[in-house]
Amino acid sequence: MQSTLVLEIFIGVAGLAIVLMLWLANYRSSDPIPQADVSATGYAIRRYWLWTTLIVAVAVFAFTVPQFPYQKAKADANARHYPVVAQQYSFSMPSTLPLNTPIVFDVTSKDVNHGFGIYGPNDKIFSQVQAMPDYVNHLAVTFTVPGHYTVRCLEYCGIAHAAMQGGFDVK
Amino acid sequence: MSQTNIADTSAGKRVMWTYMLTGLGIFFLMVLVGIAMRAAQAGWIGIDPGTFYSLLSLHGIGMITAMAIAGLGILWYFVSRYTPLNQGVAFLAYGFFLAGVASVIISVIPGHYGALWTALYPLPFTGTYWPNWATGAWLIGNSLVMIGFMIWCAQILGALLARFGGVRGILAIDYVFKNREFTQSGKEPPPPEMFAAAITAIDGFIGGTAGLLVVVALIVHWIDPSVAIDPLWAKNLIYQFGHTFANLTMYMAVAGVYVGLPMCTKRAYHTSIPLAIAWWGTLTFVIIAYFHHLYMDFAQLQFVQYVGEISSYLAAIPVVVVTVFGGVMLVHRSGMKWSVGSMFLFAGMIGWVVGGLGAVLDATIPINIELHNTLWVPAHFHTYLLEGVLLFIMGWAFVNLEQRAGSASSLLTRWLIGTGMFGGGALFLLPFYIAGADGVPRRYATEPTPGPYYAGVATVGAAILLLGFLLAIIEAVRLARSKNTSVAA
Repeated sequence: MQSTLVLEIFIGVAGLAIVLMLWLANYRSSDPIPQADVSATGYAIRRYWLWTTLIVAVAVFAFTVPQFPYQKAKADANARHYPVVAQQYSFSMPSTLPLNTPIVFDVTSKDVNHGFGIYGPNDKIFSQVQAMPDYVNHLAVTFTVPGHYTVRCLEYCGIAHAAMQGGFDVK
Repeated sequence: MSQTNIADTSAGKRVMWTYMLTGLGIFFLMVLVGIAMRAAQAGWIGIDPGTFYSLLSLHGIGMITAMAIAGLGILWYFVSRYTPLNQGVAFLAYGFFLAGVASVIISVIPGHYGALWTALYPLPFTGTYWPNWATGAWLIGNSLVMIGFMIWCAQILGALLARFGGVRGILAIDYVFKNREFTQSGKEPPPPEMFAAAITAIDGFIGGTAGLLVVVALIVHWIDPSVAIDPLWAKNLIYQFGHTFANLTMYMAVAGVYVGLPMCTKRAYHTSIPLAIAWWGTLTFVIIAYFHHLYMDFAQLQFVQYVGEISSYLAAIPVVVVTVFGGVMLVHRSGMKWSVGSMFLFAGMIGWVVGGLGAVLDATIPINIELHNTLWVPAHFHTYLLEGVLLFIMGWAFVNLEQRAGSASSLLTRWLIGTGMFGGGALFLLPFYIAGADGVPRRYATEPTPGPYYAGVATVGAAILLLGFLLAIIEAVRLARSKNTSVAA
């Protein structure tokens, strides 16, 4: 859902930038004026434009910090923990998980780096985390939609990387 | 220090054209590899997974190295206009690049190495389907490229520090903080392209050091498998080098805009205080922005994840805003006549903005959870490389050729090249973005639906782009020959 919105924002902003840049390049192009005349206005606009983009960037950063996933596993001490072990080319994990219950996947790997990518019943990415040998990554989620979830490897791990998938039912 | 003492040396041009033509030659071969892979993902041709990942390994490092070699050649020439440089050192670095490329090709073509150019330990040692010597050839090839890069960085950094008065001079610190005194004394800050050279040299040396550190560790493990490596440590260093090296290709090539666009517009691109500060942002943050590659490694130190997001913004946004804004100001009502050169340079700025936007969105952690390692990632860096870096390199080459020939290409030729390079490019890139937003994973020899459908459209787009590229090369040759004809006449 979010990624569709991201795509729309991307196409909209990129399209606007392309149109604006082409318009500025071609506007009265056969009627040149001295560079100093362009600079006088341009530098004034650039100052505001630069500050605006920096302020927007910092604001986006501040807005997104509360949505970072890193503290969520610690936030709910009562969440149920489920181990996930990845290895070339399969996942070891529960086949059934509870609905509307905070859970934490404790994800690791027996051999190389893998990606634990959870795809929802709509086949969109629901969440993901890396599976790395010698380390355990804790991914906190709450499933609110019942159905079958597919797990795909999202980190290149070898010749059968594309075939490495599993799944579980949420009910 | 005056900017007016610019010396066009034959040595500088020799190094530039050697590097640039080598880079574009490797690029052409890598495009063929890329088209074959997308066609295989579409199901149009059969490539077994082992061969696919070998080709993907070659394509990844080949493309980045191609763009880097071309960009480094351009920068070397620009620096040589301000201070004498020993071309022997440039060709020594070039020798390391070629030796590295040869070693990589040997590891992939007969060796079938297939753990990709950003192999994450315990790859490329566990679950391999290629002989052990191919791993060694790959690692040695990588280290040779890194050594070549660091030789270039050391030479350029030394020359810049000597020419522009140390770190204070090359980074224009006094120009920014003591502007009135500085300008009243008749001094001038370094021209914009020197910032590109300095930041490439400084951050490149840091990145090269990180890359060599991890590659040497991997070579030691290759020789003695009992030597263990921490996977998270290795992952950090692999991406520190990989991201920095790839990202710097843009900062190398953008120098072509600083010099080439003024030639097209008959206007000057001056260093300004915002430009200097923007480049400081890139200098500082580009070496730590790589943390965004490890967002999904929750075991990573948490503050580093925060640093990753804000660094990704600050490394790119100021320099893009200032440079592109300056570039548009340069063209606006300048009376510039469109040529292939000016078209490529201007379109490259558009590609930089669009690819940068895709990158910044992906560098935002809550968004990255859904886009990490999907096709959105190759979407943004293909935009950045094909419609940014490549266009800057080719744009600079065309500006030179057009100036030498004293003529420009016909309107029809420009339209045909533009349709191929931009129309084909859009048709190639958009399916990457849409499939990425749809959750199609990257680096899959066989993609789940709707991946194959998008791969088919992208294959057609890439083929059109290749036609545009070949047409541009034919036109470049024509311009180069027309100079000879006029001289003979």
